[in-house]
Amino acid sequence: MAGDLDDRRRFAELIEAYAAPIRRLCSGYAVATPDREDLFQDIFLAVWRAFPAFRGDATVRTWLYRIAHNVALTWQKRDRRRQRREMPLEADVADLHPAGPPDLRRLALERAIGSLNPGDRTLTLLWLEGLSAAEIEDVTGVKAATVAVRLSRIRKQLRTAEVMS
Amino acid sequence: MSDDALSALWMSDPTGSKEGVMGAVNAVLQEDRVAREKDRWVRAGGVLAVALLCPVLLWAAAYGKTPLVRGAYALMAVGTAVLVSAEWRFLAWGRQAMPGPDDARSQLQKSAFLLGRQATLVRLAPLWCAPIFAGAALIGAWLYTNVGHASGCGLWLLTSAGWLACLAGGVSKGAALDARRVRMERVLTDLLSQ
Repeated sequence: MAGDLDDRRRFAELIEAYAAPIRRLCSGYAVATPDREDLFQDIFLAVWRAFPAFRGDATVRTWLYRIAHNVALTWQKRDRRRQRREMPLEADVADLHPAGPPDLRRLALERAIGSLNPGDRTLTLLWLEGLSAAEIEDVTGVKAATVAVRLSRIRKQLRTAEVMS
Repeated sequence: MSDDALSALWMSDPTGSKEGVMGAVNAVLQEDRVAREKDRWVRAGGVLAVALLCPVLLWAAAYGKTPLVRGAYALMAVGTAVLVSAEWRFLAWGRQAMPGPDDARSQLQKSAFLLGRQATLVRLAPLWCAPIFAGAALIGAWLYTNVGHASGCGLWLLTSAGWLACLAGGVSKGAALDARRVRMERVLTDLLSQ
């Protein structure tokens, strides 16, 4: 019981520390706010279930990103999810930013990331969060050299999208 | 735009606040509790079927009126045990396929492999459920000769309908699982492509 309470406390601390990066990750995989919340909860549910087995042989960050991206890659392929990406632009923007006007440059970046294939999107999101190629290899299983080559191509793509916006 | 500026733009997400952390924790724990509860009920149902139904069927297999009836109940007992163990296998593979802390490549490979296994298992449902239906058909034969043609034919009709439903369910569920596996393999290809 004490162990369970201790787990809950550590889990709450983990959510607090990583809520922001995981929410950003969710915005890379899901467009609408309810979908993002859904994905956010699914990720931390998987983290909670994997929590007892975490032995600290990886850093918390890479361990967490591994789970988060695995959930996100599985999540976006589920049949029951609505394809919100096909919603009209006005509805999309209002749904995305219920609190106020969106930052259009960031919105363009999100859209550019959303248009990448799932593999490229995963690498891009990890790179944007500041992970090195070696860390990205640890999270994805893709060789660091391959990561570097692919990220160089993706960065060009993103800059073009940013300039176009 | 430089790489740093791109990264800074990404980090500027206004939704990335620390609000509602306790709400998120509670929601996760609640969802986990509900899922575990559901899992427990499914397991309990399986245990109940094995603990209650199998002994009854085995008793009927031992003390049935004729060899035909005894054989029929024995087949149904075997079928029930196979059904329960197949259900547990299916759930266990489902749990193993859930996203965990492996790297994405290993996770996708494992999930795709387990989805393939699940698809094969459900597609074979008409085969591993066959002893139950065969047993019911034999009971139908006994009814046909000893009770009346109508009751025998009625049970055969029900048995056939049940077997066909099992076949259709297995094929459709197998196709859905296969479609998920194919999509997962596509993501894996995307991830590993140069």
